[in-house]
Amino acid sequence: MNDRIVLENVSKFYGEILGVNRVNLSIPAGITSLVGPNGSGKTTLMNLLTGLVRPSRGHIDVLGYRTDEAEALFNILGYCTQFDAFPKGLTGYQFVYSYLRLGGRDAERAAQLAWRAIERVNLVDAAERNVAGYSKGMRQRIRLAQALAHDPRVLVLDEPLNGLDPLARAEMIALFRAAAAQGCYVIISSHILHEVDVISDQVILLSNGYVVAEGQIQSLRGEIQEHPAQILIRCNRPRELAAKTMECNQTIAVSIHHDERGVLVKTRDADGLYLMLNQIALNGIEIESVAPADDDVNSVYEYLIGNDEVVR
Amino acid sequence: MTERMTNPITKLWWAQIRSVIRLEMKKTFFAKRGLWVYGVALLPVLLFIGYTVANSHQRDRSAHLARQNERPLSYQDLTAIKSGMTSEEVVAMLGKPPIRFHWDEQRAVERGESVKVARETYHYSDGSNDLYLELADGKVESVNFRDGSNIGEDAIMFAGVFQFFFIRLAVFFGCLGIFMNLFRGEVLDRSLHFYFLAPIRREVLMAGKFLAGLLATCVIFVSSELLQIIAFTWHFSPNMRDLYLYQNHGLAHAMTYLGVTALACLGYGAFFLAAGMLFRNPILPAGAILIWEGINPFLPPLLKQFSVIYYLKSLCPVSVPTPPGTPPLFAMLISNPDPIPGAIAVIGVVTVALLALCASSFQVRRMEVNYTTE
Repeated sequence: MNDRIVLENVSKFYGEILGVNRVNLSIPAGITSLVGPNGSGKTTLMNLLTGLVRPSRGHIDVLGYRTDEAEALFNILGYCTQFDAFPKGLTGYQFVYSYLRLGGRDAERAAQLAWRAIERVNLVDAAERNVAGYSKGMRQRIRLAQALAHDPRVLVLDEPLNGLDPLARAEMIALFRAAAAQGCYVIISSHILHEVDVISDQVILLSNGYVVAEGQIQSLRGEIQEHPAQILIRCNRPRELAAKTMECNQTIAVSIHHDERGVLVKTRDADGLYLMLNQIALNGIEIESVAPADDDVNSVYEYLIGNDEVVR
Repeated sequence: MTERMTNPITKLWWAQIRSVIRLEMKKTFFAKRGLWVYGVALLPVLLFIGYTVANSHQRDRSAHLARQNERPLSYQDLTAIKSGMTSEEVVAMLGKPPIRFHWDEQRAVERGESVKVARETYHYSDGSNDLYLELADGKVESVNFRDGSNIGEDAIMFAGVFQFFFIRLAVFFGCLGIFMNLFRGEVLDRSLHFYFLAPIRREVLMAGKFLAGLLATCVIFVSSELLQIIAFTWHFSPNMRDLYLYQNHGLAHAMTYLGVTALACLGYGAFFLAAGMLFRNPILPAGAILIWEGINPFLPPLLKQFSVIYYLKSLCPVSVPTPPGTPPLFAMLISNPDPIPGAIAVIGVVTVALLALCASSFQVRRMEVNYTTE
């Protein structure tokens, strides 16, 4: 059985409108974030992964399952969509319970799993209320409960933190991390970059239906040669350090950090700078820490896509 | 069946179908956009209730009239009166009329002259049948007999309502309302993804939805038909009801009507389920199917077989005669010149339904959730 989620040359067109084009991905276990502005193709990609839409071209394989075999696929996959509509007249509990019953589980097992999932998203008190009366955050949580209820190996979550308060966000992030730690494939779409940064093992950057980059954030940053690396050096004598780093040919710019306790260096040769710092440290400047300042999703995204729609 | 149900995959499918039916029941029976279906189903019931009330009222009047006769009259007594008889002969045979009107009438004769004519009307009843006589100058001029218990005519009227209103319009549009919404309604409510994200074969989902629709339409329309039969026979006297039900094939006809109603739900349901998946606008397929069913008598023999009404017409227990003077085109719509045997008709409806369901199962596999384009 394949241990990856694989998309081979996948394209999706809605008439003449491009959804995604020529997507080639191989997604490992862990938390993978789809990042991109509105209309970049995140939801289309998720709908393709879950068989809600069929690719116009290409092939998708989810851990060895085809996406048009719902009966097999959704035993290992749970999808929390952005669609904010529910079957009419159902309570939160009935919503999750009915989903489990549709999978063929007996009443007792379905009830057990439904309550467990509802507990995981902290919605027990409201479970017997009609979903129509739920707040946006509650609706989001009950959708998450539905996606989690059958312990899927693959979790596809479209903007899962939308509408949640900070405490609930933290709880959900912990939930996703726990799932990933157990070997789950958690695919999250988000346009809130600092959240992606916190939770993702790898990211897939999308723009206008194309995959712009994929991989771990740090390695992605390393591949962007045209943008100089930014390195923050914490030390006791920042002005002296700034003067020294300017002597390096590859240094483009140096600025003193606003707290006067460090230097921000832009360089085309990070490795050269690190070697130079060793020399500087030997000459008496006390260097507390050296860390890249632009290997987060935010910077990578800005370098590659440069779109203001993404929330930082 | 039992052996098949022990097969794990069959058991799973059956469990899934039952889950779908449970979820769909509330929607199919109580959906706001489908409430009009009850109105359509109840319309013929109201018609027959009205007919029964009118007949009961008439029977009460006849009974009241019969009590005022000088002596008890029989059906034969009433039918013995002929035109040309004198008033004395009539009174001799039937006694004094319980209701009698008389007046003078100026009747025009040649060259603008007129003569005075003594007019009378007599009204007799034997308790269920009424006799209206018009007399001029003491002679019976016209005899109007109102048969209060003509089971044959009533049965033809019932058959006419069943074939030309209930099946062709009420069940037809009722199935349209329920079956077309099984998938279209979900798309309009943006809730189809709930089903499509569950580990259930799309064909099994479709089967579950179809059975839910079939259950709903059968309950609604078979109940309606049952109520129509009850309302239709309500005004019969107990003796007449027994005569109709047990000696005049009434019970067998009633059972056949219920069966034909269920088959109509099956056939039209399968058609509209497929149409609901193939078309966004229900008016187009509904109009097309209505026309197709309507022009069935004019279709070549092969094409006729791809129609539900072709089989249902042959299953109807009472054929509706073409009234004299009916235009040929309309007469052709009413008549059923080439009835087919009942068993073949049942197999035909089921086959047509299965063909439509095959088309639906092919389409449901291809369906995508893309609410923004709706």
